[in-house]
Amino acid sequence: MTTLRVAAVQASYVLMDRDATIDRVAGLTAAAAREGARLVVFPEVFVPGTPIWIDTQAIWDGDDEWFGLLAGHAVVVPGPAAERLGAIAAEHGVWLVVGVNERPEHGATIYNTVLYYSPDGALAGRHRKLMPTGSERTVWGMGDGSTLRVVDTGLGRIGGLTCWENYMPLARFHLYAQGVDLWIAPTLAMGDGWIATMRHLARENRMFVVGVNPVLHADQIPAGFPGRDRLIPPGYTERNGPWLEEGNTVAVAPDGTVIAGPVREREETLVLDLDLRTVAAERRHMDPVGHYNRPDVFRLLVDTSPRPAVVETDGAATSHAAANLIAPAHQPTEA
Amino acid sequence: MEPVTAVPVVVAAVQAAPVLLDRDATIGKVIALAEKAAADGARLVAFPEAFVPGYPDWVWRTRPWDADATALYARLLDQAVVVGSGATGALAETARRLQIWLSVGADERDDAGSTIYNSLLLFGPDGSLAARHRKLMPTGGERLVWGMGDGSTLTVVDAGFGRLGGLICWENYMPLARAALYAQGVDVYLAPTWDNSDVWVPTLRHIAREGRTYVIGVTSCIRAADLPADLPGRAGLYGGSDDWLSRGNSAIIGPDGEVLAGPLVGEEGILCAEIDPTRARASRQQFDPVGHYSRSDVLRLAVDTTARAAVSFTGRDNAADLAHSGTDPAAFPSVRPASE
Repeated sequence: MTTLRVAAVQASYVLMDRDATIDRVAGLTAAAAREGARLVVFPEVFVPGTPIWIDTQAIWDGDDEWFGLLAGHAVVVPGPAAERLGAIAAEHGVWLVVGVNERPEHGATIYNTVLYYSPDGALAGRHRKLMPTGSERTVWGMGDGSTLRVVDTGLGRIGGLTCWENYMPLARFHLYAQGVDLWIAPTLAMGDGWIATMRHLARENRMFVVGVNPVLHADQIPAGFPGRDRLIPPGYTERNGPWLEEGNTVAVAPDGTVIAGPVREREETLVLDLDLRTVAAERRHMDPVGHYNRPDVFRLLVDTSPRPAVVETDGAATSHAAANLIAPAHQPTEA
Repeated sequence: MEPVTAVPVVVAAVQAAPVLLDRDATIGKVIALAEKAAADGARLVAFPEAFVPGYPDWVWRTRPWDADATALYARLLDQAVVVGSGATGALAETARRLQIWLSVGADERDDAGSTIYNSLLLFGPDGSLAARHRKLMPTGGERLVWGMGDGSTLTVVDAGFGRLGGLICWENYMPLARAALYAQGVDVYLAPTWDNSDVWVPTLRHIAREGRTYVIGVTSCIRAADLPADLPGRAGLYGGSDDWLSRGNSAIIGPDGEVLAGPLVGEEGILCAEIDPTRARASRQQFDPVGHYSRSDVLRLAVDTTARAAVSFTGRDNAADLAHSGTDPAAFPSVRPASE
């Protein structure tokens, strides 16, 4: 089977409520699976949602309580919430790609992470965003080079980057070089400029591209949400519109043609049948890591080592110990 | 150290038809159109890919080894531009006389060479050739007429009002080549092309957002009716006025990816826009692919900028070596100070 049915889910999270949002993942994944999807993709940091306060009001201005909520509802990998996501994939026999706010079990730094689950429920891939954007730097840490891996689903090779990480030419090139048939770009980016980027990426590496956004109306913030009046200050929606997340979910063919979307200002799951066989033929025109590369001129060096905060060493056996301890505490399970 | 702030200037993208395979007549058009753009206030005037003496469109129409294809190559070779010849002299003098930066795509060859390169020539208002970029990789059928440049011409020059550089056509799909230009601080990115597709303008917009730079896309606009009657194989290869070789696709883009002018399709014309490199630099607060958003601890690009002559002669004096190499790196430093 070479045609892959993909569901790109543009939906609302339940802000800073991990379990309620995972309930939504379960329901939407079930619906997508009923439509025959083999791969279901959710937006950036869908669980438990975007820390929207970083853009609605001044930074540091009494946002401790919200950050506490974010840390409390973040997903620990491995942990019960991560296991539940795997169980959803297994229950429906689908590949499940979902953006989460992730934190180490005993840590308080949040990472912007995309988790890839295989149909047997195993964690097949994890990518921590390398660089948060602008105000995001006040809530998220930076991933290291160890999570830039393409996943072979057997139905096609999938990989991608998160939001404006998609503007990092060297990170893209590193993934292209691993062979990507379908590029997954969970994002919060709104507007037509982002769509131009999705089309460019498709044409640059001659691959399918699916960009997936959340959508959230100001009315969806519960009345009882802590500090709701400060979260959406008076006049904010008048100036910026009522959609805190407007949505921008889109699918693009390897020649840069838009297949579906962009979907805006509503929830919708795009169901797409992608014929991944076309990728190889398209690369006759352009193959940025093959015949259209100039490896005699350009050489990209990528440090893929995990970089834990501490590497413990033990006297004389320093180098041996360092080699062993370089493995991260929470290495994702290989599929 | 140069100041970060700069004065806004007008730039122009000239969408026109070359006189295909007639170098001198096409240079005559370049001069006339540059005068027109300069009269409109442009400080930078950009012409399309391989404009002098035209893009070898027949590579997409002929079988590679047909007699017509060989005759056309012979004509292209004869009419190609040699750097340091009267042709580049006329272009340089035009830039000096009009006090503009003049960017012209050329089919270019070494004086004693028979391989043609797809080059971008950038002349400064002091009448110098400030930069030459030979396209690193031709596309598809182009590979039958053009050679590949080496890493020595990935050049950005300081024009005083901003830093200028660019890549040619689908070279713009080479992420590493773009990164090499971003790292040199390009503020105004030239993208001469033959690409007529709907996806090209999104690519220009992406590059603007990725590099936080102005982008000038400039494309030829030519139909078979514009072709000289004596073009080898003309009757068999080309039709009439409804046979477009290129409809044009020129556009000028701002550093947020916003379209400032164009796309101009189906007609000749000069697109103008006022650009403010200070704004491009300030927008890098949001994104800087070679600075705060680069992660140089993880991703590190090495670029070999060595000029690669096929043959280097030893046992002779240096001047003779350089004359034969045709790619004297000293003549095209990666950054030239403003000479105005």
